[in-house]
Amino acid sequence: MLNIKCPYCGERAQKEFAYGGDGTIKRPELDKSVTDKEWDAFVYERKSPRGKHVEFWHHIFGCRQWFRAQRDTVTHEIFKTVKLDEEI
Amino acid sequence: MTQFSVLNSIHKKGKFGNHENKNEKNLLKISEINNLAIFQLVKFKHSAIENDYLTIDHLGLPAPLKVTSNDTTRILWMGPNNWLIVSKKLDLLENESKKIDNVNFALTDLSNSKTIIEIEGDLADEVLKKGCPLNINEMKEGDCSNSIYNSISVTLDFISDNPKKIRVFSLRSYGESFYHSITDACLEYGYIAI
Repeated sequence: MLNIKCPYCGERAQKEFAYGGDGTIKRPELDKSVTDKEWDAFVYERKSPRGKHVEFWHHIFGCRQWFRAQRDTVTHEIFKTVKLDEEI
Repeated sequence: MTQFSVLNSIHKKGKFGNHENKNEKNLLKISEINNLAIFQLVKFKHSAIENDYLTIDHLGLPAPLKVTSNDTTRILWMGPNNWLIVSKKLDLLENESKKIDNVNFALTDLSNSKTIIEIEGDLADEVLKKGCPLNINEMKEGDCSNSIYNSISVTLDFISDNPKKIRVFSLRSYGESFYHSITDACLEYGYIAI
């Protein structure tokens, strides 16, 4: 089991968290016209890197906050976790 | 406001589990806590009000993972700008709600939506360790935390270290399963249901 450091609560067991997908994806800006291709990319296109990956995680059984984590998809080592308004 | 016991049909008083030939003082005590006012207080994201501004029953809002308390009321930190107010004063919020304006705060009555089990005794930590991934050894009086117990979402309130007393909140609908989880974990040590 992974230990994940929630930026709000500190280190907790993975059981308290839910994985939220690729943390590098940005939703198209509101009120901006979006082509079908851009929307398709936002909804479906994901990288599947071998190595460091930025991910969203949700401390769903804790403080219920979302945050970003940089994790190695090979070793599962977690290098850093930050609040959503912070740079990773 | 009188609350109906969630565990009325399953919480039987008496001694259970491995209690024979043990000093009654050393046995775990399990009780259901009823008739508390429970409110969730959330400060809106764009509120400009400082947390120090608000006091409830003469208590300030606690720091992360901490509780502020007096004889009647406890305020638990649930997350950023999110607190749980638990009080024996059932009319607490009627008196205090003038301070809590709905421009900056959302207040939700959860009094009837929780099951509360209190575990008392030196082995209370060991009972929690059986189902909860939290590092219970690091928790002490005045701490609180959300976590899970056998996959049931719970809030832990560490009321006192001596005697060891921990209050565990779960959703009301999980009450019976949660009660069985806790009491099953207690059987090894023996417990008194009070």
